[in-house]
Amino acid sequence: MGLLLTVTVGLVLADSAIVTLALPEMLQELDASVAQVAWVLISYNLVLGALAVPAALRRVRAHPRALAAIGIAVFAGASAWCAAAPTIEVLIAARCVQALGGAFALVGALELLVARMGERRGVAAWVTAGVVGTAAGPVAGGLLTEAISWQAIFIAQVPFAALAVPAALLVREPVPADGPADGPVEEPDVAHRPVVGHNVTLGLLSAALTAALFLLVLLLVEGWRHSPALAALTVSVIPVAALVARPLARWLQPPPDVEVAAGCLLVAGGLVGLALPPSADLIWTVAPQALIGLGLGLSVDQLTYRAMEGRRPRARHAAWTISSRHLGVVVGLAILTPVFTADLLDAEEPATEAIASLVIDAPLQPDDKIALARALGAELTGQRGQVPELSGAFASLDVAPEDRAAVDDLEGDLDDQLDRAVSLAFRDSYLVGAGLALAAMVTVGAGAVVRTARDRPRPADLGVAR
Amino acid sequence: MNAGVRIAALPAVALALVVGVAGVQVAAGGGDFRPLAPADACDDRPGTTSRAEGIAGLTEQLVLRGVDDAACTLGVSREALTLELAQQDEPTDAQVDALRDGLRTAVGELAEEDLLPPSSSLVDEALDGADINRFLAAGIRALPDSVIDDALPTEDVLTRAVDELDVRAILSDLDDADALRDEVEPAVMQAVRDELLDRLRNLV
Repeated sequence: MGLLLTVTVGLVLADSAIVTLALPEMLQELDASVAQVAWVLISYNLVLGALAVPAALRRVRAHPRALAAIGIAVFAGASAWCAAAPTIEVLIAARCVQALGGAFALVGALELLVARMGERRGVAAWVTAGVVGTAAGPVAGGLLTEAISWQAIFIAQVPFAALAVPAALLVREPVPADGPADGPVEEPDVAHRPVVGHNVTLGLLSAALTAALFLLVLLLVEGWRHSPALAALTVSVIPVAALVARPLARWLQPPPDVEVAAGCLLVAGGLVGLALPPSADLIWTVAPQALIGLGLGLSVDQLTYRAMEGRRPRARHAAWTISSRHLGVVVGLAILTPVFTADLLDAEEPATEAIASLVIDAPLQPDDKIALARALGAELTGQRGQVPELSGAFASLDVAPEDRAAVDDLEGDLDDQLDRAVSLAFRDSYLVGAGLALAAMVTVGAGAVVRTARDRPRPADLGVAR
Repeated sequence: MNAGVRIAALPAVALALVVGVAGVQVAAGGGDFRPLAPADACDDRPGTTSRAEGIAGLTEQLVLRGVDDAACTLGVSREALTLELAQQDEPTDAQVDALRDGLRTAVGELAEEDLLPPSSSLVDEALDGADINRFLAAGIRALPDSVIDDALPTEDVLTRAVDELDVRAILSDLDDADALRDEVEPAVMQAVRDELLDRLRNLV
């Protein structure tokens, strides 16, 4: 039961980024625009971020079994609806409903996990499931898209969620000593204020991670033209590295603020590394991703724990962390998408000029150059708005056998120029993401200063007379 | 582990990792992974090794040098000018003038570098594609190459051919190799004919 609930938490949070590698296929199959497809991501994160806190209102969280069961059932139903969506508009609507169910499922599942496993282990399971889900979402989505289809991403979630509904209903709710035997959960009637600092840091860090979790897969699939499966394998470095973070933290035993700050620094450094690839070889993304995964593992769960630690109502503070993370993703997308799309448009001119230069100087017959230029022009015009695939122009070229090697070299050189142009177009977005991670690090430092000042004993407390 | 080490160890490890990864990326050329920047059209460019021979090869050399010179005059790169010309419906007067001047300059440069072929080789090829009287063509062919080469300096023939060229028509046919050939070869033939007539008039 506990495992099913934990998996459901992971699924709900994985859904934030799970469709990233499927976006190109959705774009094509649902005949949608890039902006519409972006809303498949934005809508889910926006609704989850906006509804998490209301879902944790006192009246609602008082019945965690029903709350979790209904939430998970809605999430499962909406997942099936996503898979069956015939148009992009329907898919976006289904994603909103999915997030609505997800918000209630997350809040209810936390209460049930605590009831079943105890405060410490229940919260740990809930937080860990969230981190693993967030980091592994793009990998799972990419593999399912490549192996089956984008619809499989949603269909695969239905059985887990469907099984989690009875699992939620079977958990025995904690009963207060003086309450009725089958009465609702009642926490002590205390309402702590949300921890603004940790939640702001979480939001900024989530916005920064958007660059890694969304833009990197976009670069791999759309920019460098790798298959979703290969891209999924490549980005699996992030969740693997995130798993190394805990042992590292246990070994070095840093204070919590230092651990979070170091995590932010690693995320920023990883994003800088992604902004500076020496070539389009996937190997150059591995070390930067390892830094990001390590940073994510050190910071996100630590921040989530600390935003919830000792605070009541527990569910509401957990909801604030969900809200911060997912609204952070929305803010990240809102900041990075215009930067990246504008840079991609700006990259068109230098890329075209580089292609023109190589074709002009190619060791080919003038007639072949003219024919190739005409075919390339048609490809570039026909594929405007996306990173062009030039192989069609070369396939239509009829050259003498002795010129074939030169043509093949030229095709490789032109693809290299496209890789260069696309990588450059992503650079600013990664650097903006790194800036957001550094801003998150600054908030950690500022928060520590504020806490130190607040907690410093005042002269009156020490009994010092003025 | 003492408090100082606990505070400093993880940031130190994180910083070392970040500096190490970014350093390796930059050292391997990470900062320079960007599209080929077009060369300054006013700078000397190494000559293109043309795969074509005869008039086609010469035309290619002249066009490449001519476009470079025109781009320099117009203050843009060779690639930008080529793309502009390919995408525009109608070239501007400035572009046409710059191109014609560029082609003239290119003829002069090739002559200076002694890269122009003897005019007899051009005449033979031009006669093959020209629509002129069979007897006149046969008469010209009967002339020894040395006579043609002495009578028709290639630089003069080509300069005249450039003047004869309908640059606007050529630009509108940029994507059609056959149409381009139909524009260039008659212009060369006309230049040969006019140059011959001029020489005869001077002799008389």
